[in-house]
Amino acid sequence: MTKRLLSVGFALALAIAVAACGSSSSDSSGSSGSPLVGAGSTLVAPLMSKWQSDYASKSEETVTYGAIGSGGGIDQITSRSVDFGASDAPLTPEQFEEADGVEQIPWALSGTVPAYNVSGAPKNLKLSGEVLADIYLGNITTWDDPAIAKLNSGASLPSTKITPVYRSDGSGDTYAFTNYLSTISPEFKSKVGTSTTVKFPTGVGAEKNDGVAAAISQTDGAIGYVGLAYALSNELSMPLVENSAGNFPEPGVESVEAAADAVSKIGPNNEISLADLPASAKDAYPISTYTYVIAPLESEKADALKKFITYAIGPGQEYGPDLDFAPLPKQVIAAGKTAIAKIGS
Amino acid sequence: MEAGALGNPVLRARRNRIDRIGDPLLRGLSGLAAALAVVVIVAIAYEVIHLAWPAITKFGIGFLTTNDWNPVTERFGAAPFIYGTAVTSAIALLFAAPLSIAISIYLTELAPSRVRRPVATLVDMLAAIPSVILGLWGILVLGPFMHDTIQPALKSTLGFLPIFSGDPSAFSYLTAALILTIMTTPIITSVTREVFETVPGELKEGAYALGATRWEMVRQVVLPYSRAGIVGATILGLGRAIGEAIAVAQVIGGATGINVSLFHTGSTMAAQIAAQFQGAPGALQKPSLAYLGVILLVFAVIVNVVARLIVQRGSLKDVDVTPTEAEAL
Repeated sequence: MTKRLLSVGFALALAIAVAACGSSSSDSSGSSGSPLVGAGSTLVAPLMSKWQSDYASKSEETVTYGAIGSGGGIDQITSRSVDFGASDAPLTPEQFEEADGVEQIPWALSGTVPAYNVSGAPKNLKLSGEVLADIYLGNITTWDDPAIAKLNSGASLPSTKITPVYRSDGSGDTYAFTNYLSTISPEFKSKVGTSTTVKFPTGVGAEKNDGVAAAISQTDGAIGYVGLAYALSNELSMPLVENSAGNFPEPGVESVEAAADAVSKIGPNNEISLADLPASAKDAYPISTYTYVIAPLESEKADALKKFITYAIGPGQEYGPDLDFAPLPKQVIAAGKTAIAKIGS
Repeated sequence: MEAGALGNPVLRARRNRIDRIGDPLLRGLSGLAAALAVVVIVAIAYEVIHLAWPAITKFGIGFLTTNDWNPVTERFGAAPFIYGTAVTSAIALLFAAPLSIAISIYLTELAPSRVRRPVATLVDMLAAIPSVILGLWGILVLGPFMHDTIQPALKSTLGFLPIFSGDPSAFSYLTAALILTIMTTPIITSVTREVFETVPGELKEGAYALGATRWEMVRQVVLPYSRAGIVGATILGLGRAIGEAIAVAQVIGGATGINVSLFHTGSTMAAQIAAQFQGAPGALQKPSLAYLGVILLVFAVIVNVVARLIVQRGSLKDVDVTPTEAEAL
């Protein structure tokens, strides 16, 4: 009996010793062996999964990514529980301070698009930023409102009540959408404002892109907003939104690219807002948005991280268009390279 | 082997030694396990309060009554979510408690024995449906049905009541309450069923011998005897309804205001925490969500204590009540 106890004890001690050795050896192997771990934006996830497989085959280094949402990505990189974070909304100054020593680099370009479900309404309904703002403020409540009729002359519009759908969780899409509406409408800016979660005065909240899409498809008269890639791959019906030039470009890679080309102003932390487009950008999609990688300046895996981000904003961009992401403009890639150089140095 | 060992004085001495350390060892280990549970609860409470501290100091007790939740202006209050939690849980129990009692009576007193087990298993399996699946079903099936059929019907018949006013909406307090009804029914049913099964056969036989019909027997023997158990089961269901986050977040519509109409969108404390905690921006939104968590914890403790008090008092009373009621027959 005692012997048995002793042997069990010995086995346990052995197991603990082996486990301890195991963990210490993996620690010492450091940056070269263990994979890069990232988390954040769901918008960038389809592109990221292409990058992961391609990068693994080219460099034999693996990257794991958790699409937990932009806000989650910011949290995780702030607490350094991942090697990099990804967010559709640029960090606020407070978040920068809290994250303490991170670099923010735009690494993918996409858009947020409205989607609607109104039986009896024409396909490709035309809307403007002012109308979208008024819908989400509750000022326009039916689909046959004169403001909508004016943009769609000749079309027959039903008197269905409008149900605006929004994201109830923190979302980069909400950021892009409210950033756009706040730029267009002073009333929206003062009453609602710009953030990843805001207080909409009216409408229905749903979780994630899928929840918003489900809410739209189940409600006659609903309008919501989702990521461009999500809307295109799920063939949601999207209204055309008027841009600064007075045109109604079709949402897609080309029009998002046109928007990015029209803006050359890059902020001190590489943040770029595409909400305020010049009237000269005739084909630019008005609700385009960058999504960012957030990398710590100092980390054990700085070299691996630099290599992966260099890949992502370089060769990785060619996979974008197939997945409904627009390629990054030259000046943004240049700014990205400058930022990468600061990591780990 | 044991008999041989006892015969040998050397081995017997060794055995006694093991017995001597065995008792303190058992006490130590089991005490440690109990202490661990207490430590975990205290640690969780501490962590939640610690996280909520900036919001507690900023908003104080007024947080409970503030009807606003605006991340942009950083003004937060719990009133919309306390209201949402109270309304959805109350409606859920209003439906689930009678439903569960009826199911339990059928299963213990009325159903033929070959039906009992499969039906009981199926009701239990209702509790095994992951809440996210139930929420999806709520979005795709229940919500549209509420919007197209139930709410218009309620509006045309009882529309004079403020709670049934306004436009129908697939995402609403009412949809969330019905999802909670489905979630709490199996919990309440399985407990009440077991309670009903403990009603002594003699009491039932006695009632029948006195000429009671089955209905009279259930009403005057089974239900009074099980009163404390039924209340306990309902409170268990209440605990589930208050705490459910995911399915409610999917169907309640995430609005941050108080609305009297049950057709309106709203939110609950648990749903709000689930929806917004990950990556909440700003210095106050996360602490405010944690503050909601503190309130939720306090709610849970109160519910538990009340349930215990009711069950304790009820079970004492039942011992007195049942025989006299049986005599009254």
